[in-house]
Amino acid sequence: MKEYIRKADIILLIVLVAVGLAVSAALAMSHSGGDTVIIESGGDLYATYSLFEDHTVKVPAPNGSHYNIVEISGGKVSVTEATCKNQVCVRHGEISLSGESIVCLPNRLVVRIEGGSEEGGGYDSVTS
Amino acid sequence: MTQSHRRSSPAQFVARVGLMAALALIFSYIEAIIPYNPGIPGIKLGIANIVTVIALYKYGWKEAVSVSVVRIVVAGLLFNGAFGMLYSLAGAAVSLLGMILLRKTDLFSVTGVSMAAGVLHNLGQLLVAAALIEDLRIFFYFPVLLFSGIAAGILVGIASQMILRVLK
Repeated sequence: MKEYIRKADIILLIVLVAVGLAVSAALAMSHSGGDTVIIESGGDLYATYSLFEDHTVKVPAPNGSHYNIVEISGGKVSVTEATCKNQVCVRHGEISLSGESIVCLPNRLVVRIEGGSEEGGGYDSVTS
Repeated sequence: MTQSHRRSSPAQFVARVGLMAALALIFSYIEAIIPYNPGIPGIKLGIANIVTVIALYKYGWKEAVSVSVVRIVVAGLLFNGAFGMLYSLAGAAVSLLGMILLRKTDLFSVTGVSMAAGVLHNLGQLLVAAALIEDLRIFFYFPVLLFSGIAAGILVGIASQMILRVLK
């Protein structure tokens, strides 16, 4: 068994898992209820919408004829259609919390939610 | 171990790298056609890395780097496209560097080195993605990629160790 696993391996594993858990916890804390949907294309701001008004937006990609369709519906945002090959953004599903984002790398699209009141919102409102 | 008492000629080097790169390419292809979908983007087992790990341990870092680069460039031309190639190269560069350094310390088993490589590979890709998309928010993916890198790296490491034992 010693050739498969050594003491240093286990220490490294523990360190990596600890880092992962710490980052997950930090990210979970930073999530809170947002109110603005920000759409960026090719690194530039494309448009902003309110999270609470339903919209369906066709966002052209900077690379030619490609596009993504972003749907805002009932306080949730999702990418319903994309011309990219991997469809990662479509399979990402819905986001609704501040700080969450959907990214389509081939079309260089970022959809993210921002804002929300400083107090309350998200996890904090549950505990207060 | 072997390279110390068996210096390879350039012809041997080319033949070895060619053979291993071809094998790694087949592994990439097999992985691409296996219909499994973990549901989260950016996660895969990376069985082609078994070949890289074996090249590193059985021959040395030059062979490992050459096999990786050849595999990624050819796989990029065949299936993944230029963008995919860029991500893979970044991931491979970071993970190879990590593997070579960790192996030098002589503290870790193949499993540990491969685990670190899995994590570093995902981290390298994430850095390129962050640079391309110009948004650090993509680091929300970091924990997911970290844990998947650990799991994939361990599995690849164990498989590599099993094969290395037989090859000795």
